[in-house]
Amino acid sequence: MTEATGTPFVLNTDKGLETSLRGFLRQLLESGNIGALILPLKVPSGDSFAWIMLNDAGMIDDAVPFPATMPVQGAKALRSLTRKERGELTVMALMRPCEIRAGIELSKLGQVNTENLILATYDCAGAVPLQSYVSDPAAAEKNFKEFFITGEPDQNAKPICASCTDFSMVDSDIHFGYFGVREKGMLVIPGTVRGTDLLKKMDLQTASGSELLPVWKAEVEKLTEKRSSVRKIVFKKTEKDISGFTGMLNVFENCIGCHNCQSVCPVCYCRLCYFGSEASRTNPEAMVNEAVKRGGISLPPDRIMFHTGRLAHMSLSCVSCGQCTDACPVSIPVADVFSFVAEQTQHTFEYKAGRNDGKPLPLRDFKKSELPGVHKLVKDAEPGGTSHE
Amino acid sequence: MSEWQPRILAILCNWCSYAGADLAGVSRMQYPPSIRVVRVPCSGRVDPLFILKSLQSGFDGVLVSGCHPGDCHYISGNYVARRKFAVLKPLLEFIGVEPGRVQFSWISAGEGDRFAKVVTRITEDVRELGPATRLVKKL
Repeated sequence: MTEATGTPFVLNTDKGLETSLRGFLRQLLESGNIGALILPLKVPSGDSFAWIMLNDAGMIDDAVPFPATMPVQGAKALRSLTRKERGELTVMALMRPCEIRAGIELSKLGQVNTENLILATYDCAGAVPLQSYVSDPAAAEKNFKEFFITGEPDQNAKPICASCTDFSMVDSDIHFGYFGVREKGMLVIPGTVRGTDLLKKMDLQTASGSELLPVWKAEVEKLTEKRSSVRKIVFKKTEKDISGFTGMLNVFENCIGCHNCQSVCPVCYCRLCYFGSEASRTNPEAMVNEAVKRGGISLPPDRIMFHTGRLAHMSLSCVSCGQCTDACPVSIPVADVFSFVAEQTQHTFEYKAGRNDGKPLPLRDFKKSELPGVHKLVKDAEPGGTSHE
Repeated sequence: MSEWQPRILAILCNWCSYAGADLAGVSRMQYPPSIRVVRVPCSGRVDPLFILKSLQSGFDGVLVSGCHPGDCHYISGNYVARRKFAVLKPLLEFIGVEPGRVQFSWISAGEGDRFAKVVTRITEDVRELGPATRLVKKL
């Protein structure tokens, strides 16, 4: 959780959180301080949500600020909007914290331009897996409401949500906080100078939230603690499951090689991927030789290599949003593996993906003196380099 | 029959380790005929996938060698390489690739003897580990 940069305001929640947030957004749009809003709207068939960039305040009534599921990761929507230079208008995006974190991660890669973008988040109670939502939207909405109220993702939420500890205020410009205070109101908390300025310009005639802020904070901390303990348990299990080569093979043995996990990943940033390129094709004769040498090889050969390669490439930027697990047609817990590995690799560089703390991407940065173990040969001391024996 | 000779891919930086290998050769230094050399412009060019791919294609070991810290021809390529390896190495070990199979080293153009020693060392390590079978599941 990051700190507020100014005094928060309180929105009246007598008519429910959604109505109060819609009212605020309408006011924001009508004030002319932002040119457009990016929000999820329910698709006409009713079984999913789509990102809509809207300028017509009337459309806000159809918006669902707290969607039950997460079909397209929001960072992908941001990327499609701001990959090139910034536009003239300020756009505000209201998304889950993991989506905003992925957006920030992409901004470090130059794939999202945040200059004219106001990033807004809300306390996220978790999301329902896309598959359960699509198969029964009504039941999924009901399940979502249950943990949306408690703030504790249960067995009906995406598994990764229960162990997510960055579910509240991240490095967003404006945060909407309601955990622990929803009866009394919803806090509008500025998180950056830009957020503070925007709220000032809006000149909200609502009560100050300095009284509710500590209550909300305490609740978020309490939930964070709960989720951290779940995180520890999940990580321990994942570590046991994937360690050693058979572990990795067992977890990924049903992988059908559809590469869905890659295409939905918000931070898998290359436009052309090695996997799927001509270079990744294997030489048939070499494969036969390998089969003879090893007794047997699995075909197609790139299954484990694909996942290991992606772990080596992406885990430094992984925000643990869980889209990969959601997209997996054979229910492999891809996100658990990524989240676990990400924690280790990011820890190596004291880096945390999705933070706007001025730290560059680890692979774009270095220190002259660091990581002393990497270039040591495995056994004994370094062989000497100067004497000619 | 003679002792099993592992096949090790040596990915060497053009400006240092490759020249170090050259020096070892012209100085008639002895080292095991286990390595196959790939010359890269800089150790920073080495993508983790190169290493995974070589293991997958049947190499028993991989040696990546670049310039000593501070000596990079491109100022900072080897520092970046070091960071990449720091991510890959624990990952490989975690999924069960033995630490001795993939090793990194700094060798300068003047260190022909060091090159010979490093190659001898990694060959011994890999020979001890035996042929790489880890990328196959024994059914």
